[in-house]
Amino acid sequence: MRIYEVFLKADGKEEFRHAGSIEAPTDELALVLARENYTRRAEGTHMWVVDRENICVSEEGFIDANLNKSHRHNDGERVAEWRKSQRNKKSNG
Amino acid sequence: MKRSWASLEEFQKFLDHGGIVEPVDDMPREYRQTVFDFIEMHANSELMGGLTERDWIPKAPGLRHKMSVIAKTQDEIGHAHLLYMVAADLKIKTREEMMQDLFAGKSKFHNVFHYRAKTWGDQVAIAFLVDAAALVSQQAVFKNCSYGPYKRILKRIIAEEGFHLRFGEESVLRIAEGTEVQRNMFQDSINDWWWPALQLFGPDSKPNDLLLRWHIKSERNEILRDRWIQKFVPLLQGYGFTIPDSGLRRNEEKDRWEIGPIDWKPLKQTMIMGGPDSARRISEASDSWEKTGWVREALEKVSA
Ligand SMILES: [Fe+2]
Ligand SMILES: [Fe+2]
Repeated sequence: MRIYEVFLKADGKEEFRHAGSIEAPTDELALVLARENYTRRAEGTHMWVVDRENICVSEEGFIDANLNKSHRHNDGERVAEWRKSQRNKKSNG
Repeated sequence: MKRSWASLEEFQKFLDHGGIVEPVDDMPREYRQTVFDFIEMHANSELMGGLTERDWIPKAPGLRHKMSVIAKTQDEIGHAHLLYMVAADLKIKTREEMMQDLFAGKSKFHNVFHYRAKTWGDQVAIAFLVDAAALVSQQAVFKNCSYGPYKRILKRIIAEEGFHLRFGEESVLRIAEGTEVQRNMFQDSINDWWWPALQLFGPDSKPNDLLLRWHIKSERNEILRDRWIQKFVPLLQGYGFTIPDSGLRRNEEKDRWEIGPIDWKPLKQTMIMGGPDSARRISEASDSWEKTGWVREALEKVSA
């Protein structure tokens, strides 16, 4: 038996979401069992099942927060300060 | 990302700040065991509940009820499935080992499934009182549960329990509007099931309860029990039934219901598999596992 991860997507803009897992001997039966276990009441319109063995998992730290790359996060502070000073000028003047 | 914690204190701090633990994390051994025991008991209870539900498919009155019972059976067995998957991922027992322990009477399941459902009235009382009690306690776990996979799967389970509850109340309504014989039958069922359902929440939580400390549960047993009492006393009375508690009284000042003393002996009996129907239930579950062995065998054959 293999363990499959089940992903469901509702119609429309929603992305695929992990719903849970299921045990099944083949891909075909995994689809059937996932349907019976996870989609009894219109929980989605699209389904993926993926053998857990086939999922590549990133190692620890591989996608850490990149705190040293502040240039990727423009917080708009300089512009905000300039705008504020303009507003102050107006109300004072 | 796999996380680890230098000490139990640090882990506690992580949990107190709303941290969510995932199966890949290097969680403390005690936490892993506690969360596993809790989920295993929940899974066992869903399975036992599904099996008793199944017994009523041929006996349910009328096609409409029959179809609802079929849907409910499928839901409960489905809940067991999902929970056994989540439990197995904790790598303490395999699914097979969990089944064997259940049939050997070595692992627990909810007290209510240690009693026998004798009439359709009992089955309706279960669908109304017991499913509601389970729902109240699951909602309290779901709200703040620190174990990620359990919290996520509870969302689905709770949504489906909502259907069971509606089915339960609709069935109560039908009986309440029925004949005197039907109403009497249901009153008998309430008399039998009120206390077991109330005891599903367990005795008052101890101050050092690990489930609370580790944010697996988020509310104390007595709070949940009381929430259920405040809701179900007026509901049952509203349908014209009485509560089998001579100590029950209305505290008008506090605007709430107060119940008489609880006899915990029956609950303790169920915890050691000594409930009125424990032995038969366990052997029925074991029989059904045996009888469905051919399905597992067939699946194994395809996978080889
Ligand atoms: Fe359930
Ligand atoms: Fe249920």
